[in-house]
Amino acid sequence: MDIKIIAKLKEIVGNDWVIDDIDNVSSYIKDETEHAIAPVPCYDCLVVKPANTLEISEIMKYANAENVTVVARGGGTGCAGAVVPIKPSIILSMERLNKIIEVDDNNMMVECESGVTLCDLEERFKKHESLFFPVHPGDEGAQVGGMVVQNAGGVRAVRHGVMRNQIKGLEVVLPTGEIIKTGGRLMKDNTGYDLTHLMIGSEGTLGIVTKAILKLYPKSKYTGSLLVSFNDKKSAVEVVPMILRKGITPLAIEYLERDFMLKSAKDLGLEWPAKKGIVDLYFILDQPKEEDLYEVSSKIVQICEENGAVDSLIAETTKEQRTILEIRSHGYPSVKANVVDILDVAVPVGNIIQYMNGIEDLSKKYNVKMPSFGHVGDGNIHSFIMTENGEKPEGYSELSDEIFKLAISIGGTITAEHGVGKIRNNSLKLQYSDKHLEILRGIKKVFDPNNILNPGTGIS
Amino acid sequence: MRIIALIKQVPDMEKVKFDREKGVVDRKSAGTEINPFDLNALEAAVQIKENIGAEVIAISMGPQSADSALREAISRGADRGILLSDRKFGGSDVKATAYTIAAGIKQIGKFDLIFAGIQTVDGDTGQVGSEVAEFLDIPHICFVEKINEVDDDSITVTTDIWDGIFIEKMKLPGLITVTKDINSPRLPAFKDKMSARKADIPVWGLDILKDYLDENGTGLKGSATMVKKIEVPAAVHREGKLWRDNLDTAVDEFIDIMIENKVMEVK
Repeated sequence: MDIKIIAKLKEIVGNDWVIDDIDNVSSYIKDETEHAIAPVPCYDCLVVKPANTLEISEIMKYANAENVTVVARGGGTGCAGAVVPIKPSIILSMERLNKIIEVDDNNMMVECESGVTLCDLEERFKKHESLFFPVHPGDEGAQVGGMVVQNAGGVRAVRHGVMRNQIKGLEVVLPTGEIIKTGGRLMKDNTGYDLTHLMIGSEGTLGIVTKAILKLYPKSKYTGSLLVSFNDKKSAVEVVPMILRKGITPLAIEYLERDFMLKSAKDLGLEWPAKKGIVDLYFILDQPKEEDLYEVSSKIVQICEENGAVDSLIAETTKEQRTILEIRSHGYPSVKANVVDILDVAVPVGNIIQYMNGIEDLSKKYNVKMPSFGHVGDGNIHSFIMTENGEKPEGYSELSDEIFKLAISIGGTITAEHGVGKIRNNSLKLQYSDKHLEILRGIKKVFDPNNILNPGTGIS
Repeated sequence: MRIIALIKQVPDMEKVKFDREKGVVDRKSAGTEINPFDLNALEAAVQIKENIGAEVIAISMGPQSADSALREAISRGADRGILLSDRKFGGSDVKATAYTIAAGIKQIGKFDLIFAGIQTVDGDTGQVGSEVAEFLDIPHICFVEKINEVDDDSITVTTDIWDGIFIEKMKLPGLITVTKDINSPRLPAFKDKMSARKADIPVWGLDILKDYLDENGTGLKGSATMVKKIEVPAAVHREGKLWRDNLDTAVDEFIDIMIENKVMEVK
């Protein structure tokens, strides 16, 4: 990196907040994307840690004038390489923007800076008497800004939705350095094109989110986790739309293949509570009254039993519920070393069974194992392509393409929550027309005429 | 074989709040649950029942509302539950509690084994189990982390205490307190949970236990100890300090801080 750039950045943020030695920089150039498909990072980068929006604005004005690439980075917990710099870049680490500005009880919203972590939010609302923030993508090192621009999802998205459903307003520094504010603490706002929603899921390519206003929800006094076990995978998947059609909307419905959970539990030194069957549905429930919790649970268990469930367990203590979630959350890390690609397609919930049938056919065709688990309640099951002797299996590219085509053919999408990042760009054309892609490129150009902000991400 | 599991209903310690000024636990701030170590005790009892056959009776002393803990115990494998409850039992210390529970067990009649958790998460004394055994005049083994063998006459267990692993054999009837390492308590099946909610929980007070209990040994009257004050320590926050200019002064100041905080001793 040019010494002039280092000097200018130190002038803006102070000497302490610019890192240019390769050892430290190398901690900021990767994310959680599987090693086999992750983009190759460029090490010729600087890390800068601004304290506030104005410093970020100054950095962007300078970078735009000098045509220097900038990559904004949150917790580095993404799974599609979005924050991996692929050319010499200023890496803008948001970690110092870590204040929860206000919990607005009256309007049931929280305003926070973008470097606030999911852990910070969880801790804050664990102590709050009556409100909570629903989205929990998994890794609590994730930062709010990253969760916004990645439109993160995760386990608890069935009732209240993903990040897009929670974001009411943003403060954003544009690639050209100007600061804009979108939305507000409003339930209705119909003023022109909605730039808030354009920023959500933009993967750090249109602007740098510095503040966000997020929706909160009333806590329910009674919570419970149901584990319902089945002897076959299809039966487990089939009951999900039946439950939703009955008007039952749990906080989460997860599809968990037993092998995964046993491996994960063993890793953590814990025990997976379900013993019967080979696959579990995991429901997270909350209700204001104990009776309601049991009534909803009864309906779920009844539907599941009518469709082949072999056992149903209920966890109600904080510790037992946390243990299940902990084992579930560790499911992916426990096998990560052997995963080539964690696919992230989503299909309409009513079409999941077609998707699962298709996956089974493709497993046979390519002679590979593709274990699955994930957010069945919102049609987003992660299918894993595993390594063969540490290598990508033969025909990996064709197989992943076929899975994308399968999802699209039944009304699905190639990525539900991980994003396009720098690993699915070439697959975009499977889902979008040329005209669609042209519009996306046009939008990028309006925001970032010099293409300095996170190039090669989302659309290229 | 008849096995008795001692159960205590405690506040959910992960959610409960403490009033530092008054020095009390704000019990309304959180729900209740079975003391986690008692779940291990119950699980150990239920596993023996499944392996060699036994009746498992859960017994608890507490207010009327503690019946929900016994129903929970039934949903997790106990055959029935008995609640020892009487206004005069209020304010019991470990001695009065153990005396009352021992009376309840005598009222049940013949038994072979008693399981208890090593301690409760709210009181943390770790003495009730052993004292119950003393009042019943039966042998006991504490800190059990593995049951090696059990039959109608004896039980062999492993304990891991004081840097040693002990294998101990005890004639029955006897009492055992278990650690959390002995097992992973099962979750209740949903159907068992629902049917246990309708279970009848008999409540035994002073009148029922009169053959085995002197009123003067119960409650505050029967307590040898009294809690005068509870102090809740303030949360400790990490502090940081940055030295930039004079490094020699910084090192001296750093050493002073370490000595002051008893991190290092300079002789």
